[in-house]
Amino acid sequence: MIGAGVQAAVVLRALAIQGSWNYETLTGTGFGFAILPALRALHTDPEALDAAIRRHERAFNSHPYLAPLALGAVIHMEAAGEDPAVIDRFKAALRGSLGTLGDQLVWAGVRPLCLLLALALILLGASWWAAIVVFLCLYNAVHLGLMVWGFRVGLAEGRGVAERLRQTPLSRLRPQIMAAGAFMAGLVIALVVTRGVAAVGEPGPVWTGLALIGVVGGAVWGRNARRAGVAAMMALALVGLLAGALG
Amino acid sequence: MTSWFVVAAIGGFVGLDTTSFPQMMVSRPLVAGTVTGAILGRPMAGLTVGFIMEAFSLLVLPVGASRYPESGTATVAATAAYVAVAPATLAPGVLVLVLAFALAWEWVGGESVVLLRRANGKLIRKKEGVPARHLEHRHLSAMGLDFVRAAVVAAGGGLIAAAVARWAAPLWDLDPGSTMEVLAVLTATMIGTAVPIFGGVRARRYALLLGLITGVTLAAVAG
Repeated sequence: MIGAGVQAAVVLRALAIQGSWNYETLTGTGFGFAILPALRALHTDPEALDAAIRRHERAFNSHPYLAPLALGAVIHMEAAGEDPAVIDRFKAALRGSLGTLGDQLVWAGVRPLCLLLALALILLGASWWAAIVVFLCLYNAVHLGLMVWGFRVGLAEGRGVAERLRQTPLSRLRPQIMAAGAFMAGLVIALVVTRGVAAVGEPGPVWTGLALIGVVGGAVWGRNARRAGVAAMMALALVGLLAGALG
Repeated sequence: MTSWFVVAAIGGFVGLDTTSFPQMMVSRPLVAGTVTGAILGRPMAGLTVGFIMEAFSLLVLPVGASRYPESGTATVAATAAYVAVAPATLAPGVLVLVLAFALAWEWVGGESVVLLRRANGKLIRKKEGVPARHLEHRHLSAMGLDFVRAAVVAAGGGLIAAAVARWAAPLWDLDPGSTMEVLAVLTATMIGTAVPIFGGVRARRYALLLGLITGVTLAAVAG
């Protein structure tokens, strides 16, 4: 279908699929940018290439890490000479499910889980660089693994990728990731309350009590607690300055 | 002395990583703050700013086309300002000032992303007449714009934050210990906001409880 070099170029370009994000085509131009090496390999006639590019820079959106799955499937369909209208309908049908799956698995799953692990390492006394390296390696192993896996599955399955996606354990992994995330959140909360934030200092009994109340508030009120936290930071800055100015 | 060109370059890469390329999470406040601090010769200062900003950013999820604060470039700005103004030892007043600035500035960064996305739309419309083969040029131009935008947001924010902190820090009159304790309580509260991401207290009570027990045990073992 297409050579290994072209496949590698498509996956690498997929890392920049959101590079021209806009409110009209969303990541459509990025999709066209990423699929371009494959289109060049498949369409030798300049006019056919131009027409193919125009079709693939239309509106598209998905989670960026799962976009290679759509890219692989579309390359498979282009190579098989499928009707462009069918390919367009296929892309439109796929974008919603790839977006939702990626948001749930990555943004609300793997990413906060890996970040909490890094925070836990810092609170346990690991050096700053070790915590950063562990976070980046672990997170990007999932990130890049997901992209390469998605591209291969898409390229092999073509239009059948939706069915294949239903059979994979990806969506079934979510409860486990959520449970692991809650475990890590509990662990970091315990470390913060018992040891204090490493760079901040040793916790006293009053601090520990206030921190416990704060943690419970944060866990229960979520977004509202964040808003209150931001307001409290502003208030602290203001009080500190007023104390100096008036005192 | 802080090199603001270096800060701009770090900010540009951090801003690109947030959405455009390659989303490897160098743009997370923990990483962006620590790396900025390390490059400017104060990794622990960067870690302190990055850790607290990360706690504030855990709950912010980039879902759909919604508007959200850009915490990475704001963290670079805050870290650079802290390094420029604060002495080598911990300066709680300066820390609070740069953090408060960063939590406001992250919305400026977020709005600049909205403006960039509108500009990208115009860029794509304007080039409709040119051959489709020029798509690479349009796409890479948009990425270049994003780099410049983020560099300006980070360095501009850092310069403003440093000027404000330099002017306001001598006015600071709260006890350093109490200031740090309030900061620590705020950080703990923000780490609590991570629980709803994973389904909330009720749905994940057993995993959460196991984590709490493990954390207390580890804290006891680690001394």
